[in-house]
Amino acid sequence: MRLPEKNTLEKRQLIYSVILILFFLFILSGFIRLQVTHKNIYVQKSISNSIRKVEIYPVRGLIRDINGAILVDNRPSFAAAVIPKAVSDSTIQELARLFNITAKSIKKKIRKDYGFRPVIIARDISQEQLAFLEENRLSFPGIITIVESKRFYPEGIRSPHMFGRVGEVTPKEQLFNPNLKTGDLTGRSGLEKGYNTELKGTKGVTYSRVDAYGKVIGMYDINRNVPPVHGSDLYLCLDYKMQQFAESLFAGKRGALVAIDTRSGGILALVSKPDYNPADLSGKIDPEIWNQLLNDKGHPLFSRAIQSTYPPGSTYKLVAAIAALQEDIITPQWTAFCPGWFKLGRKTIHCWNAAGHGRVNLKQAIKGSCNVFFYQLGLKIGLDIWEKYSRMFGFGSRTGIDIPNENKGLVPSTAYFNKKFGVNGWTKGNLANLAIGQGELLTTPLQIAQFAMILANKGVYHKPHLVDHIYQYGTKKNTYFPIPTKYVNGVSDGIYYFVREGMHEVVNGGTGWRAKVPGIDMAGKTGSAQNPHGETHAWFMGFAPYDMPEVAISVVVENGGGGGAVAAPIARQFLEMYFYGKIIPQPVIRKDTTQTEIQQPLQIPNFEILQPIPVSAWGDSLNP
Amino acid sequence: MKKNIVSRIDFVIIILTSLLITAGLIAVYSAVHAPGLAQNLYFTKQVTFAVTGFLLMLTIAFIPFKLIERSSYFIYGTALILLLLVPLIGVKGFGAERWLAIGSFKLQPSELAKLASVLAAARYLSKPEIDVNRWKHILITLAIILLPFVLIAKQPDLGTSLVFLALLIPVLFWAGIRWFIIFIFVSPILTAVFAFNFWAFLVWMIIISTILLLSKQKLPILIFIFLMHIAVGLTTPVLWGQLRPYQQQRILTFANPEADPKGAGYQIIQSKTAIGSGGIWGKGFLRGSQTQLKFLPAQHTDFIFSVIGEEFGFFGISVVIGLFILLFLYLLYLAANLRSVFASISLVGITTILAFHVIINIGMTVGLAPVTGLPLPFISYGGSFLLSVFTMIGFALNFSMNRYKN
Repeated sequence: MRLPEKNTLEKRQLIYSVILILFFLFILSGFIRLQVTHKNIYVQKSISNSIRKVEIYPVRGLIRDINGAILVDNRPSFAAAVIPKAVSDSTIQELARLFNITAKSIKKKIRKDYGFRPVIIARDISQEQLAFLEENRLSFPGIITIVESKRFYPEGIRSPHMFGRVGEVTPKEQLFNPNLKTGDLTGRSGLEKGYNTELKGTKGVTYSRVDAYGKVIGMYDINRNVPPVHGSDLYLCLDYKMQQFAESLFAGKRGALVAIDTRSGGILALVSKPDYNPADLSGKIDPEIWNQLLNDKGHPLFSRAIQSTYPPGSTYKLVAAIAALQEDIITPQWTAFCPGWFKLGRKTIHCWNAAGHGRVNLKQAIKGSCNVFFYQLGLKIGLDIWEKYSRMFGFGSRTGIDIPNENKGLVPSTAYFNKKFGVNGWTKGNLANLAIGQGELLTTPLQIAQFAMILANKGVYHKPHLVDHIYQYGTKKNTYFPIPTKYVNGVSDGIYYFVREGMHEVVNGGTGWRAKVPGIDMAGKTGSAQNPHGETHAWFMGFAPYDMPEVAISVVVENGGGGGAVAAPIARQFLEMYFYGKIIPQPVIRKDTTQTEIQQPLQIPNFEILQPIPVSAWGDSLNP
Repeated sequence: MKKNIVSRIDFVIIILTSLLITAGLIAVYSAVHAPGLAQNLYFTKQVTFAVTGFLLMLTIAFIPFKLIERSSYFIYGTALILLLLVPLIGVKGFGAERWLAIGSFKLQPSELAKLASVLAAARYLSKPEIDVNRWKHILITLAIILLPFVLIAKQPDLGTSLVFLALLIPVLFWAGIRWFIIFIFVSPILTAVFAFNFWAFLVWMIIISTILLLSKQKLPILIFIFLMHIAVGLTTPVLWGQLRPYQQQRILTFANPEADPKGAGYQIIQSKTAIGSGGIWGKGFLRGSQTQLKFLPAQHTDFIFSVIGEEFGFFGISVVIGLFILLFLYLLYLAANLRSVFASISLVGITTILAFHVIINIGMTVGLAPVTGLPLPFISYGGSFLLSVFTMIGFALNFSMNRYKN
């Protein structure tokens, strides 16, 4: 082409210039929008961009006994965390190899938290792993180690069911409580769960200036930082030496012991055996140990004292006795003849004492634990009154102890039997069985101990509780929780008098003589509960001292045999330790009352012994 | 016309480029600033390149004008050979082969190709017998510019290859092409976009028909063009449907990066935050939290303008954009006042290359243009590109000094 006319080129220059200016004006409008119109939004954004809020975990509160001795403590443990924005794929692979997990699981964890907040991928890492990470820090960008704390149990501390476990919050819990962050710890069972709010403390916050790689450059504004608050310490009502001693009494046995201070409702000992070492389930759980605990035939994860339900056996005869007296069904002078057997319809059932107790009144029947007397009494009382009194004494409902997963047991009612067997499907035989604490009735050791407390205090009782008070680090003050005191309405003092007299005789020459602590006047009742698992469950419940009660106790030994022979001595040793701080040497055994009671449940149509809780329901709150 | 050699130098260009390179050095200093570091290697390197570039520019200004014109095909050929060598012996960087390593020096042939294509197209169009409105000549011009485009797009370097597309229309326009031909080039792209909405498509087709009827062309040509639009409109949605979802996603992200807040969108969000928080007067030199805490990705290269936006605010960016506009308008004024057709077209091409870089790069930082990886002339860190920019300005200086030669 040839050079065009000058004004032709000037026209093109003008057109092109205008187009260029329009483009630049368009872009300039973008700057005006950001820097003038929406400036404040972006200023805010840039501040939150460079200021990172770091939460500082508080120290979880300690658990101490009444003397302040530390039962549950904390120890540092190290966790490996990744900063999702700064970590590379190859580093994740390397990390997965180090911790023997899949890279996929790491990626899954960090997918939700895209950014600079560290996400913990392995807790309680070993010293070797920690050393490896620290040494190779430069080759693993985006990986940091975090000091955490895990539960530590000093030498000789067990009682895992009482203390419970701590675990990471689940995504489901986060749904219900958005304040929970991935990796936060929370109580899973026992006191750790019951008092999680008090124990967990309050997280602190620091604001630090960080760069885009997540590196902390410095503090932002010290005045805005909030220090974490140490979780409150729990002070238990019990002296751990007593608890330890009580646990030692169950060596080789399965069972539970509950001792309550009758004056306050404070738990003096809460034993469930077999158990496990709580340290095994603190921090990282070895899957082998976990499986072993899960599959153990003795069900060590199960808290028997509050979760297991047993037929209470003869200890429950006291309920029938009180009901009969209070409802004027019998007088204390009313007698029944026990020839050693009893005829109900066409069936003949036997008393545990085949020779028979002869003619016995109420007090004698309690002392000798005469089945025939109470069969007859049960039939006279009737199911509805029996159920009413059972419920009055707290059976069939939770005691409200301050640890979770308590079982409320079962008190059958007319409606229950009608539903289970049909309106005409059950007989008086069921009722007779209930009167001696057998059949469908199920109670926890804690309920029996509470019952003993009610009898000791003649109707007054306090909510059983483990924690005496808490110490708050924030206010530096002790806080006591109100303990509701309740009263069993509608049972007169005179009736307690008769029943307590009966219990007094049980220990003094009756079936429970082995529970007798020398020098301490006391009362109790034995029981030997039939069950489908073999030997009878050995029961003992009682209180001491007789006139000014301090301790109410219940002991059960699963498949232990007779209550008088197996459970009563355990109670005695506990009480001796409680009152004297030592075991009193036993006098020579008297021969004539060594025989143990065995109950014969009625063989009646449709008779069913309730199965104990299915194994699958055990420990369902203990998923790793 | 016998003035001394210094007075022939175009000081408008020298002053504007000096101001721009100064602004660039300030921005790079801030972008790579690290507290506690006495000397910053990046900044030192950039200063070295700026000085070298400035000297290079002056050197080029004094090359005999005719030598440039005569060697333009040779330069073009060299550029093409280098581009062909890249896939064979190139160095990989950022997932694409773009570099040729010559000793310790890394050469980016695509930078040379931009200038070479402009010179070659200008040389071709400046021949007296060439008529820019004849199809044959148009197609040859297209071929000169699109050949490097294809080679660079294959590397793949989409951003740089787009520069060549952007060159087409301004160069042809300056050479005097008729509006109707530009319309034929541009309208199918709009047709493809409007094809996704029936009503938009219908309105657009009515507009096209009107333009066609008013164009006074022969009827068969009009019918052919109309049918071509219909065909484009019908096949585009079908072709789109054939794409795999991730390919569609990639194209959509290219058009709207904020739809992908973790990838490309992350850069845009951070950049907008930096610019927006700068406000009218900025946070002050070395005071930008986004910049100094390294939240801006590629803040010393592609996103250098965000640094200026954050630390010097709307005032700062207005000054820099103002300098750019002055430079480009002056270059266009110069192009209209050159005696040589070759120089005139070349200068328009150079202006277009630089303006395209500036508009796309700055537009990207505020989210008005896609993220393409085009650096900002004079401002962005990077030796190869800076030298390339100074070379182009060197040619502009040369043309200015020889404005009365033809």
